[in-house]
Amino acid sequence: MDTLEKLRILSGSARYDASCSSSGSSRNGGEGTLGNACSGGICHSWSDDGRCISLLKVLFSNDCRYDCAYCVNRSSNPVPRASFDVDELVGLVVKFYRRNYIEGLFLSSAVMKSPDDTMERMVNVVRKLRRDERFFGYVHLKVIPGCSPHLLRQAGLFADRLSVNIELPSEASLNILAPQKKREAILEPMAFLGSAIGESRRERRRDRRAERFSPAGQSTQMIIGASPESDYQILSLSQGLYRKMNLKRVYYSAYVPVNEDNRLPVLATPPLLREHRLYQADWLLRNYGFSADEILSEEHPQLDEKLDPKAAWALRHPEFFPVDVNCADYAMLLRIPGLGVTSARRIVSARRFAPVTPEGLKKIGVVMKRARYFITCSGKPVERLFDRPAMIRDRLLLAENLPSATPLKQRQLNLF
Amino acid sequence: MNAFRYDGSTEGMFSAIDHILRNEFDPAAVSLARQGLSLFDEGVFLPTDTARASTLLRRFSAAFPENAREVMYCVFSEKEGLETALLHYMHMVSLHGSGIGAYLTHPVVHDVHVLARKVAREAHRLKGLLRFSMLADGSYLARMEPDFNIIQPLSSFFTRRLRTQDWFICDVRRGLVSRWDGKRLEYGTLESFRTPELAEEERDVRRCWKTFFDTIAIPERKNDRLQKSFMPMKYWKYLVEKE
Repeated sequence: MDTLEKLRILSGSARYDASCSSSGSSRNGGEGTLGNACSGGICHSWSDDGRCISLLKVLFSNDCRYDCAYCVNRSSNPVPRASFDVDELVGLVVKFYRRNYIEGLFLSSAVMKSPDDTMERMVNVVRKLRRDERFFGYVHLKVIPGCSPHLLRQAGLFADRLSVNIELPSEASLNILAPQKKREAILEPMAFLGSAIGESRRERRRDRRAERFSPAGQSTQMIIGASPESDYQILSLSQGLYRKMNLKRVYYSAYVPVNEDNRLPVLATPPLLREHRLYQADWLLRNYGFSADEILSEEHPQLDEKLDPKAAWALRHPEFFPVDVNCADYAMLLRIPGLGVTSARRIVSARRFAPVTPEGLKKIGVVMKRARYFITCSGKPVERLFDRPAMIRDRLLLAENLPSATPLKQRQLNLF
Repeated sequence: MNAFRYDGSTEGMFSAIDHILRNEFDPAAVSLARQGLSLFDEGVFLPTDTARASTLLRRFSAAFPENAREVMYCVFSEKEGLETALLHYMHMVSLHGSGIGAYLTHPVVHDVHVLARKVAREAHRLKGLLRFSMLADGSYLARMEPDFNIIQPLSSFFTRRLRTQDWFICDVRRGLVSRWDGKRLEYGTLESFRTPELAEEERDVRRCWKTFFDTIAIPERKNDRLQKSFMPMKYWKYLVEKE
């Protein structure tokens, strides 16, 4: 089989991995090295589904001995199988990189003979890239659950980011849909990576020449909508991963039905909006100082599909609003709908020179169509609706062109 | 308001700004424009002094690197009628220090910042979207038609990234070329462009990339609008995957 055909098969089966980030690592080579990595990450293209392409995302092999219900490569599926040679894949990465098609490599694999055997081949690819080609671009390696710690250690020294996929948000679902995968086989390498990354960071703070272990951290992915877990369960799990396992990112992948299997739900379309809301809520956990219990609860376990989670939180907590943008602290600014990390930081800097006005907020980049209901500028409100959350909700939906919560007729009656 | 004119070159603008910052009592009340925009130009003409311009730039970048970057990106934008804003901005920065760059609600700071960001965004985009092709002699060529004149920041980016290969970057519309030979970066101009012969492996590598691009998308999630909003069609002309 030629390289082109392998590439077609092995990128086609890698596309369900959501991650394509190339950020969080900076590498600078010297004389005679190829490439570097930018800490901000660079997108090189956008595929027809609108997702960014920054890495050559392929499987090393799709020849799998497991039979997970949701997976296109499960052993009982009659799909064409292929595996790369180490040299072949290394050559492809270098050719693509020299033409500026990619930022580096995202390498995952089906489990071939054994987890260790597969993991070793993947490590060989990165070793060859780093040692023989003197490649300084970005490499993301997917860890094969159940592989030995000595392979993890080698992988961490060569790759920029490592990740172990959780796949499903609970052990019960894992047992039903992926009976050959064990929860411990996933969590153990994750914990190992978490501590190795932390150790290497501490080490490097003492000695800048100390070896870097997975400098862009570790991430994971779970499939959304293939199993019955609620958004609250999913977010609580993510929060636990961020706090206890030191994860950089959790990726959520809307379940795309690729197999006929009576253990799986029947969906007309992948739950893309739910995925989007989960990503928004995930941002609140990572960058906005929210906890999962503030966003959702046992009584309200699902995210509102119409409103973004921050606006939904603000409407449930009128006691915090209005916030005055000229005296509130950074943490409180972050909780105003329509304000992001950047605009909150800009407000804090700009108000040192002069008080910020609604005009100024627009200049700073605040989304006024959302923020206007929740703020005052030096005591002056922009809108006087603070005590009417239902009305604010309607206006917010209107501003996003979403169907209103209250039927139109009823609102018209209120006018007369 | 005092009005000044200069010859329209970048050196001319910076030497005029230097002159005004040194000699005018209140630079914030001065306007600066290129000569010859209207039949009856008003204002004093300030001659171009290359040494003066480069001294100003060197001192300004050493003292305020972040602000100097914004100023340079504004220059790369080639937008007309920007001189007065840049003059006032550089005046404010020299008066109050680099921190003034955060005073985003001030009209001058805001305008400079917004324009600089626009240019920086295109430069960042092309760091990803620029496509090199291998030529028959083993060197690499990338062509582009950016809105702004960003060949300089792009070239210095690629000297760090692709330092072990010979390459050219060509701004087709402006007729500008940069060339890296593994040691030095040179800039030049181009009268006309003739497509050189490609290396033999080029066709195969392009086919591989196109195949990868086509199979990496999930058909059930197809979303043209999202793709175009991130990757505007004006860049497609030189994209292998969109040929």
